[in-house]
Formats: sequence, structure tokens, C-alpha cells
Amino acid sequence: MMHFFNPLLSHWATQTGPSFWLPAPVSNFADTVDGDFYFVYWVSIFFLVLITALLVIFMMKFKAPEGQKATSQNDHNLILEVAWTGIPVILSFMMFWYGYKGYVAMATAPSNAMTVTAEASRWLWNFTYPTNGAVVPGASEDFNEIRMGVRDGSLTPEAAAEREAKVLEKAGLHVPVNTPVKIKVMASDVLHSLFIPAFRVKKDCVPGRIGELWFEATEPGVYDLLCTEYCGQGHSLMHSKVVVHESQESFEKWLEVAASYDETLPFEQLGEIVWKRKGCVSCHSLDGSNKVGPTWQGAFGSLRQYTENGVAGSTTVDEAYIEESIRYPMKKIADGYPGQMPVVKLTDKEILWVTEFIKSLGK
Amino acid sequence: MNPNDQAPSGSEVSSQETAKVAPETTESGPSYLTVTKTFASWALTLDHKRIGLMYLVGVLGMFFLGGVFALLVRTELFSPMPLITPLFAADPGAQADLYNQWFTTHGAIMVFLVIIPGVPAALGNFVLPLLLGAKDVAFPRLNLSSFYLWICGAAFFIYVLFSGGVDTGWTFYTPYSTDTSTAVIPAVVGVFILGFSSIFTGLNFIVTIHKMRPKGMTWFNMPLFLWGTYSTAVIQVLATPVLGITLLLLILERTLGIGIFDPQNGGDPVLYQHFFWFYSHPAVYIMIIPAMGVISEIISVHSHKRIFGYRYIGYSSVAIAIFSFIVWGHHMFTSGQSTVMNIIFSGITFSVGIPSAIKVFNWIATMYKGSLTLNTTMLYGIAFIFLFTIGGLTGLFLGVLSIDTHLHDTYFVVAHFHYVMMGSALIAFIGGLHHWWPKMTGKMFSEFWGKIACTLVFIGFNLTFIPQFVMGSLGMPRRYYTYQDKFEIYHQLSTVGAYVMAVGFFMTAFYLLQSLASGKKAPSNPWGGNSLEWHTPSPPPLENFHGVPSATDPYELDHFDYDPVTGNYSSRTTAGSA
Repeated sequence: MMHFFNPLLSHWATQTGPSFWLPAPVSNFADTVDGDFYFVYWVSIFFLVLITALLVIFMMKFKAPEGQKATSQNDHNLILEVAWTGIPVILSFMMFWYGYKGYVAMATAPSNAMTVTAEASRWLWNFTYPTNGAVVPGASEDFNEIRMGVRDGSLTPEAAAEREAKVLEKAGLHVPVNTPVKIKVMASDVLHSLFIPAFRVKKDCVPGRIGELWFEATEPGVYDLLCTEYCGQGHSLMHSKVVVHESQESFEKWLEVAASYDETLPFEQLGEIVWKRKGCVSCHSLDGSNKVGPTWQGAFGSLRQYTENGVAGSTTVDEAYIEESIRYPMKKIADGYPGQMPVVKLTDKEILWVTEFIKSLGK
Repeated sequence: MNPNDQAPSGSEVSSQETAKVAPETTESGPSYLTVTKTFASWALTLDHKRIGLMYLVGVLGMFFLGGVFALLVRTELFSPMPLITPLFAADPGAQADLYNQWFTTHGAIMVFLVIIPGVPAALGNFVLPLLLGAKDVAFPRLNLSSFYLWICGAAFFIYVLFSGGVDTGWTFYTPYSTDTSTAVIPAVVGVFILGFSSIFTGLNFIVTIHKMRPKGMTWFNMPLFLWGTYSTAVIQVLATPVLGITLLLLILERTLGIGIFDPQNGGDPVLYQHFFWFYSHPAVYIMIIPAMGVISEIISVHSHKRIFGYRYIGYSSVAIAIFSFIVWGHHMFTSGQSTVMNIIFSGITFSVGIPSAIKVFNWIATMYKGSLTLNTTMLYGIAFIFLFTIGGLTGLFLGVLSIDTHLHDTYFVVAHFHYVMMGSALIAFIGGLHHWWPKMTGKMFSEFWGKIACTLVFIGFNLTFIPQFVMGSLGMPRRYYTYQDKFEIYHQLSTVGAYVMAVGFFMTAFYLLQSLASGKKAPSNPWGGNSLEWHTPSPPPLENFHGVPSATDPYELDHFDYDPVTGNYSSRTTAGSA
């Protein structure tokens, strides 16, 4: 309805680098948001200049010594009242309308979007890639160390860039360029909020809820990712990075590396990584509480009652039982549980690590 | 005026006291300041003027305390590295905690103890019955009790300061506030008590304005300050209980583990935000509407010209008060509330902007062809119009859904609400303080120092907050203890501005105190105002007026003659006071 203004708006928003007011626009929403921003900005500048000019002119022109009479006592003018009511009504409706259009696009992710989960907790980020279950940390500590290092001079800018690139090999939110990406945001403790200034997107991470935002990055590069909802001591340290890859291939290559395991770690630690990455975490607790499946705390070596093809049985939880339960989850259903475990394809090594992890959780 | 309209308790006590001390009240008789002198005569006073003055002292004291915390915050942010927190704590974590307590304390004190009671309770208490030609408010005892509730609430805040502080931000968002180990409960109890103080004041003002207007004063020839305090009082009475209940629920959750807001116990943190903002958005208007009322008085009186568009200004106060109840969701555009709700709240939010714009244009039109006395008070009035314009216009950015997604919870928001709360509400409070200072104290302050201080505050304020708009839209989140180097220059400008402003405020404190000691005696009508408070001596006698005043046209300002010797405006046609 107000497409008349769009050429103007896009003219204001054609900058590519960072401007005085806004960071470099690098997502599909940036042009819209910046266009809206500059529309409101110029309307505001117009009224600010008008009002300031009137104030200054009146101050100069009508300044009078104490006791002098005003030259007019006129106290109403219907045309003026209608004008300064009507014009703001029209302008603010236009603002609302632009904001509404832009926001609806932001609120509706396309169905073919790639989904990444961002989980915030005090005071770190974790990004989970569903295609292979890789859980990639936000590595806020590293980025803060680099920032401090540059500041106190212990890191040269080159050394800092090198170290950042190294950290980003296994950390940060990575996405391919020109691909719709949907981020599911969650929090495990208190409120957080995921903010990527360069993309103009933001969503609160609310514990107990799953939020959603989406974007399509338009420029390869590395951008800031910040927490914007106050979460306590480390709030200002929840600083991570978004890496926009120049192609789908380079993104997938990165993901493969990021998903690989650091096999120098002890087996039980690797098992814990598998527990998180492969989603065991959603049904098997480590603290004795019952979720969809039995807890892993003290599971190893305990006696388990089960039903196999309608026949009751029991066994000690040992290596063989764990491997069987992972490879054929519907074979022996532990009593008291619904038996909803999917077949999660684990490698032999992963099964070994998980088993060691369960062993480490006590008998 | 019908004496039955007066509060029995108020008139009883005042007539007894005057009978004892001043059998004959004349023009030179004792004022409310000197009529009795004991400590008890102040501590137990039912006189609205004394209560207003005590509020004023309390509010200004708290303004100083909140200002100290603001300076601590700004000083720390001069550098992204720890700067002054290491003086108080050794561990880096504890340093960040300390910073978090500072900004929380600054926000909570300024909102709950300074700005909310500032104009209505301190200035309003003093001026409102005078504007009505009444002897007191409708319920003087209730009035005194709201003052002591305020003291009680302030005491809780002081206790919080000495018991390790609170670090939740002034919003007390759950689940953080359920979870943190700091003194949330005493702070929340303090706010709860302050809520009652506010409700009592609101109730008192509603009844007073309804029942105690003098003969001949209709709703449409009340001074606009009364329209402002009336609209505010309605919000105070209707919205504050919601905050009280919310905070009680928060206390129950913290102490008994009842799951209301904490998802760990089956609660919903977003529900807390709805409850909180259902009060706290209208609370923004509790702060700004009476301030707008003050500005309507200042601009008209010091322009010596009828207020322009009286009805539009009056109705727009009421319109803002009504709309203020249905826009709270715009604080939650990114919280995950539904898209449809966000769109509805965005639409309604713009409706609040219209009445604000109407007021600004009417004030400017009032100045047109006026006879502007550019004294300190008027400079504050004009500063208000400029700062409020910026505050209002930047609010438009935040009402636009697409832009707000980017700006939400950044320094842009911080700057915006400081333009509204401080640049507008507080500047109007300071302006009103100067406007009524001669009436309250009977002394004139130094216009020379006043103008210098006002200029410093104005420059310092803009220097503090304009850089915050820029860094906010560049992506600097709020409530950050440390930040990226690229924002350093903006933070440094901002900190310098805060110090300039502080110098201005200290100067103000100095010349106002100095005026008490050696200021020129104030005439009854130093500015040429025609509302009833200018028709009684400065400072007024205990019973406010000698005799019973009848309503004047508060904006008929061109029938005065100025006497340069006494500095008084006296009416040519009638004999000033009754």
C-alpha cells in the first residue's frame, strides 16, 4: 500500500559497510530493518529540527523584560490542532505498517530452512547441528581472552586473528551464505537473549520454552553474537561469533571436522560428548530423575526388569546389555518405561565411550 | 467554599494551632514554616505543605544517592577493563557482581524513590491544595501515612545497600530474581511498601480534586497541573496493586518454592514480565504525566500568555493515561510472545505518541507571540520540550517491530528511557522546584547561577545520552560490565557528560541552599501567575489563604503590573489575594 516510498527507503539502505548508526548489513533482513530505521530517522530529524528551530526563534524573538505584556493572548486554532494531530497519526501509521511488514517476514521461517539449536546457559552458548548431532561450543572464554590480549598488548592483531581462526575451527555458530537458517533458542537456567547485530535479529532464550528466529546471511565473514538479556555475573562475557561460510561445501566440510572427536580425551568424557550430541540427553538423566528412559546414574551393574516379546525377564546391566539396547532398542523394554527409544546409529567407538561414561556414573 | 468540604481532621488541627500561635493572621503573620517550631510539629504534621517539603527533602536525598550510583556506573564504564570495581573487590567475578549491584541500585532508587514520588508526592502535595484554594488535601492523615510509608520503603533500600546489595536489575526479572543469592526480598518488600505510599497519595488526590474545588472552578478551568496529577492518580490507584501482587508472588516463590514464574517449578518467566509491565508501563506515565502538567504551568506563566489548546492538553493527559494500560507488551517484543500480540501491541503503542505530540505543539504555540521571561525556570521548561521531543521521537524507533528487534535491550533503549525519565520527568521536577521554590521557601534563588547550572545540566545530559543512542544501534547491549573496544569512545563521551551534569546539579543544590540563608525575600507573585497559589503570601500561612479564595482563570495572565522594586506582579483589576 505504501510501495511508493520503497525506492526512497532502499536508497537510504544501500550502504554495504557499517554506517554511523548501524553495523554492516549482512542478512536478508538488514535492508528492510535499515530502511525502516532511516524512514523513522528522517521523520524524527525533520520534527526535531522543526521544533528546535521554533524554540530557538521564539526564544530570540519573544524574549522580553519582566513585566512586558504578551502581544497576543490567542489560545486556540482548530486548523493547527487538526494538523498536528492528523500528520502524526498518518506518519505513525506508516511506521507501524513498515514495522509490521518487516516483522512478519522475520517471524515466519521458510519450511526449507536449515535448523540449528542454540542453547544458552550461564554464561556460555552451545550450538547443536541436527544433521549430525554435532554440539559446538560458543567458546566465549576464548573470545574474551583474545579481546583482553589485544587490549593489554600481549597479542598482536595478527596473532589474535590467527588464534580466533583456530578457535572457530571447533566453535561458534556456523552457517552457509545465502541459505535460510532457523535458530531454535533455549535456555537452561535463567533468561538470556541471542543477538546478532549484523543480521538485525534477536530472540530471548526463555527457560522452559523454545523460541525461534531465522535469517539468511548475505556476506561471508565473521560476526558478533551477544547475549542481550541480563543474566548475572558473566552477562557481558557471553560473547561468541557467527561464521558465514562462502559455500554449502565449505560449511559441510567444517561441520565434519567440528563433529569429529578429540580422541585424546578419556573415554568417559568422550561418552559424555556422545550423550549430548546424539540426543541421549533428552531421555536419560544423570541425576537419578526419571525421564522417558531410565536414568544412567548408578545404572551400570544394577538389576533391570524387562519385557521381551511379552515375556518378563531380568538381567544385570553390563556391556553386552548396553550395546544390545543401543543397537536394538525395542528388543528388551525396561519395566515402567514406554519403550520409545529410536535407533540411534552409533559407531563401535561411540558405543564403547558411552558404556565407559555410564560405568563412570556409579553402580 | 463550603467548610463541610474540608477534611475535618485537617481543619481542626490547623485552626487549633493557629489559634494558639497566631490569633491574628495578617499579611505579615506567621507562615506554615514558622507557625510552630518543635520537631513533633514537623514529624506529626498534617499540613500538606510540610509533608510536601519533607517529601522533597527525602526525594532529593535519594536523588543524590541514586546519582552517586549512576556516577559509579559511568566511571566504571569509562574503560572496558576493570577500573574502579577493583578498589572494592579482589575477585574478577565479585567485581562484575558489584557493577551489577550498582546499576540495579541506581535504577531502583531513581524509579521507585525519586521519579515516581518526585512530582506528585513532593511538588503535588505542596501545590495541589493551593491550586484548589483549599486548606489541605481531603485526607491529611492518610497523606502523612503515605509519607511514612515512603520513609519505610526507603529504609528497606538503605538496608539492602548494607546487606550486600541486589543484582537483578530494577525489573526483578524471574527466574534470575528467584535464583540469585542477593537481597531480593528486602528490596521487593521496599518496593511493595512504596507502592502503598503511591496508592494512598493517588487516592487522596482523586478525592481532593473531585470534592474540594472552589466555587466556580469547573473541570475545564482547573490549572493543567491538576489534570496531570488527576490522570496520574488514576493510574497509581489502578496499576500499582498489580505490582504489589506480582512482587508478593515473587516473594512466595523465593521463600516457599511455589512455582509461579520459575520453569523449574512449572512456572512461566514470561508471565512475570506481563505482570511486571502491566504496572511498570503505566508507571512510566505516572512519572511523565505530572511532569507534563508542570511544564504546562511553567511555559504559560513564564510566557505571560494563555496556554494554547487547553482542552487538547487536558484530554491528551487522560488519553495517555488510558492508553498506558494497553501497551505493556511492547517491552516484550523479543520475549517470544505471539506474533499477533506483538503486532497488536505495536499498533496501540503508536497511539500513545499522538497525544504526546499534541502537547509539544501546544506548548510551542503557547510561546508564540508571548512575552518570554528567559529565567532559570523557563529554561528548564524549554529544555524539557527539546529533551522530551528526542525521548518521544526515539520511542517511535522502538515501537516499530522490525527496528525494535534490532534495538531491543541495547543502549538505544537505555538512552531513550533516560530522555523520557530523566531528560523529561526529572527536568520538569527540577523546573517545577524552581517555579514553586519562592512559594515554598519565601526566598528567591540566584538566577545567574541558576541559568549556568541549567545550561550545564542540559549540555551534560545530551553528552551523556546521545552517544548511547549511537552505540546502541551499533549493537552495544545494555547492562554490560565490559564491552568491545569499538564502543569505548562512546562510553567515554557518555561518562564525561555524566560528570558535567553532576557539576550542574551540585551547583543547583548550592545556590538553592544559599537562597535559604541569604536569598531575597520572595513576593507573593514573582512570576506573574494567576492560579490560586500566587494569590497568597510566600510562603503561605498555615491555612494557605487569608480568607476563602474563589476560582480564578489560571491562564488569564495579562492583567498584572510588574513592580521592579519588590519583584511582584500585582493585579490591576482586583486586589491580588482575597
